[in-house]
Amino acid sequence: MNFAATLGLALPIGIGLAAIGSGVGLGFMGRGAMEAMGRQPEALPKIQVAMIIGFGFIEALTIYAFVTMFFLQGKIQ
Amino acid sequence: MAAALTALWLPANPNAAISLATGQILSALNFFFLARLVKLFTGAAQVEDRGTAEAMRAKGLLLGGTKLAVVYGGAFAVTRWRGVEFLPLMLGLSLPLLALFLKSIMLAFPAGAARTSRRATSTASPTRSQAKLAATILLAGALALPLALLGPGRAFANDPPTAAATTEVGHAEAGAAEKAQGGGEAHLPNWITIANDYAPDNPIVHWMHENEYLVFAWLAGALFLLFVMAVMKRSAAVPGHLQNAVEWIVESMENVCGGMLGKHLPKYFPFIMAIFFYILTMNLIGIVPGFKSSTSTLDTTLALALVTFLYVQVSGLINLGPLGYLDHLAGSPRDVVGFAMLPVMVPVHLLGEMVKPVSLSCRLFGNIFGEDTLIVVFVGVAALCLKASLMALAVPPMAGITALFMLLQTLTAIVQALIFSLLTTVYLYMMLPHEKHGYEEGGHAH
Repeated sequence: MNFAATLGLALPIGIGLAAIGSGVGLGFMGRGAMEAMGRQPEALPKIQVAMIIGFGFIEALTIYAFVTMFFLQGKIQ
Repeated sequence: MAAALTALWLPANPNAAISLATGQILSALNFFFLARLVKLFTGAAQVEDRGTAEAMRAKGLLLGGTKLAVVYGGAFAVTRWRGVEFLPLMLGLSLPLLALFLKSIMLAFPAGAARTSRRATSTASPTRSQAKLAATILLAGALALPLALLGPGRAFANDPPTAAATTEVGHAEAGAAEKAQGGGEAHLPNWITIANDYAPDNPIVHWMHENEYLVFAWLAGALFLLFVMAVMKRSAAVPGHLQNAVEWIVESMENVCGGMLGKHLPKYFPFIMAIFFYILTMNLIGIVPGFKSSTSTLDTTLALALVTFLYVQVSGLINLGPLGYLDHLAGSPRDVVGFAMLPVMVPVHLLGEMVKPVSLSCRLFGNIFGEDTLIVVFVGVAALCLKASLMALAVPPMAGITALFMLLQTLTAIVQALIFSLLTTVYLYMMLPHEKHGYEEGGHAH
C-alpha cells in the first residue's frame, strides 16, 4: 500500500469520523440549549449567545479535519 | 532603531536596506493619512452645521484620494521593482505599525476614560450610533490596510511553490474557467481572472491577479465604507429603513457584548464591531458572482486572528499590569495546591493562548473556503453536463442546489462573522479583571 492510496483511504474516513464526533457534540449542545430555552424563555438571548459560541468551538474540530484534508489532498496523485 | 537597522544593512545589502526604508516610509505615510482622516471624520460626525460638514467631507475625500495615490501607488511601484526583498520590506512595514499600535493603546487607556464617558452620556442624541459607526469603520480601515499589505500578496510573492500559488499559475496558463475542479483547490473565475485571460501582459491586471485576495479585501472595506457613508448621510432622529437596520445590528451586538464585558464595553466595542463588519463584508462579497471572499484564504484570516490576538494580549497586559498578567498566565495560584501546580499550569495556559489565533483563523477559513468549494463543485458538475449536452437533465437541479447552498452560504457568512467577534469578546472577557468568580478559567485551553 503506497502513500497516495493510504491518504486516499484515510482522508475521507478521517473527515467522516470528525463529522460524527462533531455531530454528537452539536446534538448534545443543541438539546441542552433547547431545553434551557423551553424552561426559561426569558433567558433566551443569553442562552443563544452561549449556544452559538459553543457551536463555534465544536464545529471547529470538523473544520480542522476539513482543512487538514485540503492540505493533504494535493499529495494524492 | 529602524534607522540603525537600515544603516547597518546598507553596505552589506543595499537592496534589503532600501526595501526596509521604503516599507517604513510607506507605513508611516499610511498612518499619517489615516490619522488625518480619523480626525476629519470624527470632527464631521460632531459638527451640527451642514456647511462645515460638507467642507470637511470634501477635504476628507481629497485626503483619501491623496492617500490612495501615494500609499498604494508607492506600494504598487515597490512590488514592480525587481530588486525588492520581501522580508526587509515586511519588517519595514510592520515596525511603525507595531510602534504605533503599542503607543496608541498606551495613550488610549489613561485618556480614554474621559472620552468614553462623554460618549456614554450623550446616549440620547442621534449622533451616538454615528460616532460609533465612524469609529468602527475607521478601525476597519486601519485593520484592513496593514493586513492587506502584509498578508496575502507577500505570501504569494514570497513562496511561489505553495499549493495555492501553483494552482493559480496552472489556472492562468490554462486560461479557461471550468477546469478548476480538477485540482486540490478549486476556484470559480472572478472578474480579475477573466481580465487576466484577456490581457495577461498588462502589469496592473497581472498584479491584481497575483494579489486578488488583497484586491477583494480592499474592495470589501471600500464597499462597506461607502454603504455606511450613505447610511450616515441620510441619518435622522427618526431613522429610515437602512439606518434602522444598521442601528439594530449595532445595538443588539452591544447588548450581547455588554453582558460579558460590562464596564469595559465602551473601550473595546469599536474594535469588536470593526472585526464583525469587516469579516461580514468580506464573507458576503463572495456570494456575488464574479467576486471572491478574501476570507477564503488562510493569509487573510490569520492576519485578522493575529491582530485580534495581539489586541487581546496587549489589553490584558495593560489592564492587569505586568505582574497581574503573569499571574493570569500562571492560572492565578492562591493556595499551596495552586503553587504546586505551577509548572503544569503555565505551559497549559501558554498553549491555550497560542492556540487561540490558530483556531480563530482556521475556523473562519475552513467555513468560508468549504462553502466556496461546495458551490464550485456543483457549478463544475453543471458545466460538465452542459459540455456533454445533458443540459435539460442536469442543469435545473444543479442550479437549484447551488441556489440552496448560496442561501446556506449567506447564513454561514453571518454566523462566522458573529462567532469571530463573539470569541474576541470572550477572549477579552477572560483576559480582563473581573470581580465575580463566575468563570472558571482553568478549563478553557480548548
